[in-house]
Amino acid sequence: MSSLIRSYGGVLAALFGGLTLLWIIGLIVLPQLNMIQRAFIWEARDGAAQQAGVDLERAYQKIATLDYDIRAAKRDIERGSAPSAAPSPSDPFAVSPGAPSPGGLASSETPDKRIVRLESERTELQGQINPLKERFGRLKIEEAEASGYSIKNFTTMSPLHWRIFGMTIFYAFCVTLLSFLFCYPIAYTIARTQKEIHVAFFMLGIIIPYALNELLRIFAWTMILANEGILNSALDTLGLIDLESGEAIRWLASNGAVFCVLMYTYILFMIFPMYNTIETLDKNQIEAARDLGASTWRIHSRVVIPHAKPGIAVGAIMTFMLSAGSISVPGLVGPGLHPDWFSQIIYRNFFEAGNWNIGAAQSLLLLVACTIFILIVLRFFRVGIQEIAR
Amino acid sequence: MQGKEIRLQGVSMRFGDFIAVHETDLTIAAGEFFSILGPSGCGKTTILRMISGFLTPTTGQVLIGGKDLTAVGPNKRPTALIFQNLALFPLMSVWENVAFGLEARGIGRRERRKRAEDLLDLVALTEHAGKKPTALSGGQRQRVAIARALAVEPSVLLLDEPLSALDLKLRQHMRAELKQIQRKTGVTFVYITHDQGEALTMSDRIAVMNAGRIEQVAPTSEIYNAPATSFVATFVGEHNVFRGRVEGLENGMAQVNTPLGRLLGMNRDDLKPGEEAMIFVRPERIGLVSQTPTLGNRLQAAVERRDLEGPYLNVFMRAGEHQIVMHMTNAGNNVSDLSGEQSVGFACEDALVLRAGELAGE
Ligand SMILES: Nc1ncnc2c1ncn2[C@@H]1O[C@H](COP(=O)(O)OP(=O)(O)OP(=O)(O)O)[C@@H](O)[C@H]1O
Ligand SMILES: [Mg+2]
Repeated sequence: MSSLIRSYGGVLAALFGGLTLLWIIGLIVLPQLNMIQRAFIWEARDGAAQQAGVDLERAYQKIATLDYDIRAAKRDIERGSAPSAAPSPSDPFAVSPGAPSPGGLASSETPDKRIVRLESERTELQGQINPLKERFGRLKIEEAEASGYSIKNFTTMSPLHWRIFGMTIFYAFCVTLLSFLFCYPIAYTIARTQKEIHVAFFMLGIIIPYALNELLRIFAWTMILANEGILNSALDTLGLIDLESGEAIRWLASNGAVFCVLMYTYILFMIFPMYNTIETLDKNQIEAARDLGASTWRIHSRVVIPHAKPGIAVGAIMTFMLSAGSISVPGLVGPGLHPDWFSQIIYRNFFEAGNWNIGAAQSLLLLVACTIFILIVLRFFRVGIQEIAR
Repeated sequence: MQGKEIRLQGVSMRFGDFIAVHETDLTIAAGEFFSILGPSGCGKTTILRMISGFLTPTTGQVLIGGKDLTAVGPNKRPTALIFQNLALFPLMSVWENVAFGLEARGIGRRERRKRAEDLLDLVALTEHAGKKPTALSGGQRQRVAIARALAVEPSVLLLDEPLSALDLKLRQHMRAELKQIQRKTGVTFVYITHDQGEALTMSDRIAVMNAGRIEQVAPTSEIYNAPATSFVATFVGEHNVFRGRVEGLENGMAQVNTPLGRLLGMNRDDLKPGEEAMIFVRPERIGLVSQTPTLGNRLQAAVERRDLEGPYLNVFMRAGEHQIVMHMTNAGNNVSDLSGEQSVGFACEDALVLRAGELAGE
């Protein structure tokens, strides 16, 4: 901070500091706190209050319909003409059990009789409104009393969801591991390439796909993996399978496909940090190890990987968090995949079921799992945060 | 440990269109301290890397201990290389560095530790075994690198300018130490340097290289006293050079006609009259005629500058187009009043006539 003041002067430094603070508070701290708070607020939803609300709503609707019918009958009288054959706009769904509406069958009635009948129906309904209101209010209060701070959002999660949570963490771990195994040789090769132009080509090849929208990139995979997709067609052309007789291999909607696409989607986040650290390794160290008789395996395990540890840790953490939280990949590549990934369940709680608090609780679980993963990785690689920041 | 002989037969190295090392035959005796001396970029490292196995020669064979190892990888050769920048493993402790070669050979941890400590003893670093290399001084790191290379009991130790990163004092100290280690172990040392002082003080024999070619291979004293080519003459030590054409021959000497007159010198290259020649004289062999009246070759030169360098005095003089350097021993009274036109000269036996060729530093 003092160096900031020295280089930019008090006003600018204060501005920078203020903006940073604002950003941290507004975009990180407050939303997180809100989410954590929601996670620990239990919203009781046993359905009784909701049902009462629905009943009340229906009664109001029914009364409005009757009012309409009465007005129509009155108009008929004024005109003195025969009752119109216009069908009653009664809502067939709004019929409450004790009050069957005669609807269009009443065409034989005289308008006067009809008005009397409708009026009596209306009075009866009007009488029901108040008890319904009362019941709804009572249930609401009861519900509000049952709600409040608790860990019920976690404890009431179904065993299936816990299992999905566990599987998602495990899958994300698998993706991270596979991604490392796949990306390490690539990163090493690029880092050891002598000709700048070749490095540029490698990099371009890896970066260009990222110019595409993420959804499109994933969608491209669904085209490759679809039953009538590129991969199956290629196999068909090679004569390995016969598409016509329905031998198509079902690639999509499998965990393998999700793994594969996740790896592809986040490959850059694994390769770049590793490349950056391997690149700084003195080539002579590799040669020295070789000169001392080390096998390729030993050179990597004792010299290259220890040196690249901070990069590997960063890559692993990023890939893990992105995979654990990805919803577009399992959503697009694994439609019909069963069970869902945890992130999809969170998504549904937030945006379909409207259970924000449960969604928040589940997000918090994911956050905690990711944090634990980070700590384990850091411990495992014996790298500190400072080293990573380097 | 026992040193082995190295033999290069018709070895050359080409990178694309560029020939880094021209066809070379060279034999380095077992247990010898052999230096390769040459200016930057002349191909020294390339030769070393062909001996260690990191480069496969474009032509020719590399034989170590009589065995053709041309196609054998560096991890399978009885050589150990000490890199220009040492290339210690910064994440391992000193003893792990030293023991790395043993680890690669599958030797158990306890045994490794013991052998590493013996070697650290040899280079006087016992108490630093547990430190990281970055915690050591330049000279100590140097010795770790030597111990690490010796740990695999190589027959040949290849050193690529290992002292270039050290300051002068330490460099002189390490020279003595290297020489001592070489004597103690009996390993063949191939030492690369562009510092002639280093080569001259440590080596048994020296090869002087220029632009991918070895110009001369000889014991140190011969390299200095009897350089074979104009390049060696000017690269190793200082020389005054006069260009001219051979005019006449008389019992092993050649008379060369130079812009400064006729000069007589030893005809080492057996030049014939009419051939282009260069005549070389060391600055310390030039003297004042007034002090030594018997000098065979004489010149008139004007003193331009005098630099006192402690034990001797450098006198820079001009004679026509030529600058002449004369080293005089500081005898107290002879250095203070030298100025103006002087008659200087040198003995015919101290002058060397060689075929005209490339000079170092041009
Ligand atoms: N891999 C390579 N590809 C192309 N040219 C190379 C390669 N390695 C070396 N050279 C060239 O070969 C020549 C000799 O290189 P070398 O490294 O042997 O020089 P050196 O004598 O060790 O120099 P220095 O004293 O500066 O270390 C140089 O001109 C260098 O540019
Ligand atoms: Mg070199």
